[in-house]
Amino acid sequence: MWWLRVAEGFAFGGLDAVTLETLKGVPMLLESSDVRVRERLLPETCDDAEDEAEWRRHSVPELERLFLSRAQLVRRDLAGIRKLANFDAHVMLIPDGHTNAWLASLNAARLALFVLNDLTAEHMEAEGYAKATTLQQSAVLRIHLLAEIQSVLLGDLEVEDPGVSFEDFILE
Amino acid sequence: MVTSVRAATKEQTETKTRPETQLAPPWNVIVHDDPVTLMTYVTKVFMQVFGYSQDKANRLMQEVHKEGRSIVWTGAREQAEIYAQKLQAHHLLTSLEVVDA
Repeated sequence: MWWLRVAEGFAFGGLDAVTLETLKGVPMLLESSDVRVRERLLPETCDDAEDEAEWRRHSVPELERLFLSRAQLVRRDLAGIRKLANFDAHVMLIPDGHTNAWLASLNAARLALFVLNDLTAEHMEAEGYAKATTLQQSAVLRIHLLAEIQSVLLGDLEVEDPGVSFEDFILE
Repeated sequence: MVTSVRAATKEQTETKTRPETQLAPPWNVIVHDDPVTLMTYVTKVFMQVFGYSQDKANRLMQEVHKEGRSIVWTGAREQAEIYAQKLQAHHLLTSLEVVDA
């Protein structure tokens, strides 16, 4: 996978089948009704039962609406993934105005993959990874893949800026 | 008789209003460590949600990472709930606790 700064935001290219599948899973994970995912994305917040009930009544529905709205936004950007005519490569644009929604959604997806695959902190390190099942190893790799996109959006990784728009870049 | 009714009314009123006139205790907003969320993301969220400087946000993030949790804000319950909701909107593992007197 490679990335570039374009006029409209960030372009990610060289998206292979695994990356595309992982990206398409992001909104689904955000909308997951699996109890493990819900417990992590909407965690118990107050010790006191009455305070917790009030939190669930007032704050959680707003968070749920926000997650659904982000899932829709991410899904729209994913629907815009283009296949370059002369190359066997897919390119995606994350517009600047969507950066925060993407950062949070990628984080949610990574957390969801973590709990859905019964991963532990040890699995995220080399020694624990070697002892993990094949499915767990696949989940860890996907978690790292999504982290790479987050790191680009956060400015943690160097990003080349050729000074072109996304459309111009696609046509070149 | 009248006096005793007045006295009883006064006593009831005092009993009823006392909790409302007491100062409400402050609440802590606590962020807990998790092995997935990127450290730079946590710092960015602290800056975005609280308006903290990069130095302060980074120090709190390090505390979360090393100590397992950090009290990132303390104050009135309503504001604490707003902050906790904003942090959970970014999927930071957040809880609220009443500060012991």
